[in-house]
Amino acid sequence: MIFNYLTGTYRVVSNYPGTTVEVSSGAAKDNAFPFTILDTPGVNNLIPNSEDEKVTRDILLSETDYRVINVLDAKNLRRGLLIALQLIEMGLPVILILNMMDEAKSRGIEINLKAIKEVFGLPVVAAVATRKKGLEHLFPALKDCPKSTFSFQYSEAIEGGIASLLPLLPPAPISGRSLALMLLAGDETLRPWLEERLKTPEMEQIEAICSQYRKAYPESLSYRINIERLEKIDQLLLRIQSGERVSVQGWGRRLGEWSTHRFIGFVWMLLALFLSYEFIGVLGADLAVGFMEETVFGGYINPFLIRLVKAVIPFGIVQELLVGPYGIFTMALTYALALILPIVGFFFLIFGFMEDSGYLPRLAVMSNRIFKIMGLNGKAVLPMILGLGCDTMATMTTRILETRKDKIIVTLLLALGVPCSAQLAVIFGMLSGFSPWIVISWAAIIAGVILLVGFLAGKLIPGESASFILELPPLRWPQMKNILIKTLSRIEWYLQEAVPLFILGTLVLFVLDKSGAMASLELWARPLVVSWLGLPAESTSSFIIGFLRRDYGAAGFFAMAQKGLLTPNQVLVALVTITLFVPCIANFFVIIKERGWKMALIISGVVIFIALLMGGVVDWGLKTFSITL
Amino acid sequence: MTSNPDRLNGTPEQHQGHRWYGGREVRTREESIDELLELIWILREKGVTDLNSLLQNTTDPEARAVLNQMMGQGLFEMEGDILKFKEKGESLAEGIVRRHRLTERLLMELFEMSEEEAEEEACKLEHVLSPAVTDSVCSFLGHPPVCPHGKPIPQGPCCKKLTGEMKPLIRPLNDLALGQEGRVVFISTRVKDRLEPLSSFGVIPGIIIQLKQRRPSYVIQIGETSIALDESIGREIFVKAV
Ligand SMILES: [Zn+2]
Ligand SMILES: [Zn+2]
Repeated sequence: MIFNYLTGTYRVVSNYPGTTVEVSSGAAKDNAFPFTILDTPGVNNLIPNSEDEKVTRDILLSETDYRVINVLDAKNLRRGLLIALQLIEMGLPVILILNMMDEAKSRGIEINLKAIKEVFGLPVVAAVATRKKGLEHLFPALKDCPKSTFSFQYSEAIEGGIASLLPLLPPAPISGRSLALMLLAGDETLRPWLEERLKTPEMEQIEAICSQYRKAYPESLSYRINIERLEKIDQLLLRIQSGERVSVQGWGRRLGEWSTHRFIGFVWMLLALFLSYEFIGVLGADLAVGFMEETVFGGYINPFLIRLVKAVIPFGIVQELLVGPYGIFTMALTYALALILPIVGFFFLIFGFMEDSGYLPRLAVMSNRIFKIMGLNGKAVLPMILGLGCDTMATMTTRILETRKDKIIVTLLLALGVPCSAQLAVIFGMLSGFSPWIVISWAAIIAGVILLVGFLAGKLIPGESASFILELPPLRWPQMKNILIKTLSRIEWYLQEAVPLFILGTLVLFVLDKSGAMASLELWARPLVVSWLGLPAESTSSFIIGFLRRDYGAAGFFAMAQKGLLTPNQVLVALVTITLFVPCIANFFVIIKERGWKMALIISGVVIFIALLMGGVVDWGLKTFSITL
Repeated sequence: MTSNPDRLNGTPEQHQGHRWYGGREVRTREESIDELLELIWILREKGVTDLNSLLQNTTDPEARAVLNQMMGQGLFEMEGDILKFKEKGESLAEGIVRRHRLTERLLMELFEMSEEEAEEEACKLEHVLSPAVTDSVCSFLGHPPVCPHGKPIPQGPCCKKLTGEMKPLIRPLNDLALGQEGRVVFISTRVKDRLEPLSSFGVIPGIIIQLKQRRPSYVIQIGETSIALDESIGREIFVKAV
């Protein structure tokens, strides 16, 4: 909100290079003040524990000639000052904005602004950003922005460490003292930055000093540093803050408590699930897709393109490449833009809403126990939910998880069993004409496989599981504009990343089809498909397409089911197999990028094996117990 | 601690085991050795290991003689000007420092003594506590990792077993009733990575925490901050109900 005030309305949301963290930028709207404003993610600490924190720290480390606007929650000054203290330590020109002054007041907190100004020697602006109160003081304060005169001493051992590291450090936009503290705290994320600037012997020397000082603190030096900072802040707060704290039982807090309640919380969860389904499934998949596919593409764009191509290009093969059954326009683009885009778009809207309202962390609280079974914790719910939108994007967000083990397990489960929205849409479309028992069995089998594989992976994969510590921000009604901006930037990402792959996939299919390779592949895979899975031989091509995108494969089965080529039992076998099948090729590439070649191949191998195994088992079970669905 | 000025002004009654001759404090040889071992340990924590600094920091007028005797007993060796513990001296010093800091913790947290009082008592008790009593105190306090000054407490055999037969006044956060508040006395975790996120949220000794819910996950509240955490983390945060 303060960002909006500073820049007016125009802003660019982009992912920080190499991350999924979104950073907004915009030009300051005051002409006398020719600066670009960067909106970095919120942080708890500048010794990074999360990707958000790392991005913010990296921005501080890589930009030059800048000012920092530090927005503090006035009712939670202690934590805000923990960041402020670190910014001051970095020797940066900082402006402190005490936001939500009204809420602080209603909680009985009196804040002595003068004392803050005196203690830190920094400009302080008291504000209520939602009502734009106090923000008019911001531009004048930005214009002359002094550095703080405040400094404080750590205990001897830490000061000793700082003193011995200082002469070894390269110049940086932030003070050597703050760099030394990061190193003492054992900040591994700083290493690449240092390696760029220092030679190996110097790095080794730094390493030696750090480990020497770290050894003295069995409970971790970074913790000690934080404690000393907080103790200093608590001391300062005596001067800055007064008044008896009144607990305010507002609606926001009460709703927040209900949303994680052990009974009411589940009702909430079901309600959220139902509303999301109505929104994405009915509004997105039914109405929007129907309109885009049948009316826009089927009725206008494709017939027009087909006529145009046939009229302009005389070669049959090129015509087919563009508008044939495996054509770039008729298959790839229609599919990407008419079928999937509306669903993904609606999904991102819902996801953005959950994100901004503060509900996602609550979902993590509710599901923590289930994820514990799989050697994970509640935080894994975020990539898993996002996986229901797009597995590729979700695989990238596994970076929010702390340990390598957690990342591998979630990547595996995403690849194995979390169907993305596109695939879900096809699956639900396909199931609509069949008995509800198929849906129920399908869901039960997939959930069972995810749990079982997660459990086994948790046991088999070596390494530590991360512990679950998660802040629950207050629930609030999100700003629709922010959600829209976020959704648009994600859709842009989808168009850039996914659409080229659709085209590539279609090209591969086209070549396989035209060269006759498809036919020989079908012949080769026939025993597996026909004897083991008990499916008609024609379904082989769906599996081959499934290698490129699972939802493509599902769409193949959809077409077969519509033609009446599959019995209900076969529908279940086909769906189980294709849901568990390797995800799209884009996801495969992202797994390579995030986890390396070897792990990507292992994961794919495991996934294909489990998919075929489960398909066969389901077929065998249905036949043995002569169940007809 | 040897450098404590209070000790020189103490009365004979307060310092049992210390004999006084003409107002000057005299201690037994064993105590002098203990004090020097402790001092060497403390200086080493600050990265100081040379003999001169040691002599400057001690109040013991017979320090040189005592040090010679200690060397004769094989407690430490000299490498040029640098003092180096031998195995025997190291483990003796470790024991003394452990007893001193555990006592500080006990007296300050539990009996709410002032820092000076606790320091003085700790200086006496560090010489007399038996290993069994030391481990009981350690278990009673929940195997604290640091003394009230934030200096590390060397671990004893009890810490490795993590025994807790005593019924403590200080108990895990998880034992609070829902809605009850407790002041964090210390956090005793074997998983280092947990401490930093906790402290980033402001969870450090001295702070008051309210337990909000147990299921499906533990949720605690500190001021305006709500945090969800694993049951296993709550077990490692020790609080005194307020
Ligand atoms: Zn102490
Ligand atoms: Zn112990």
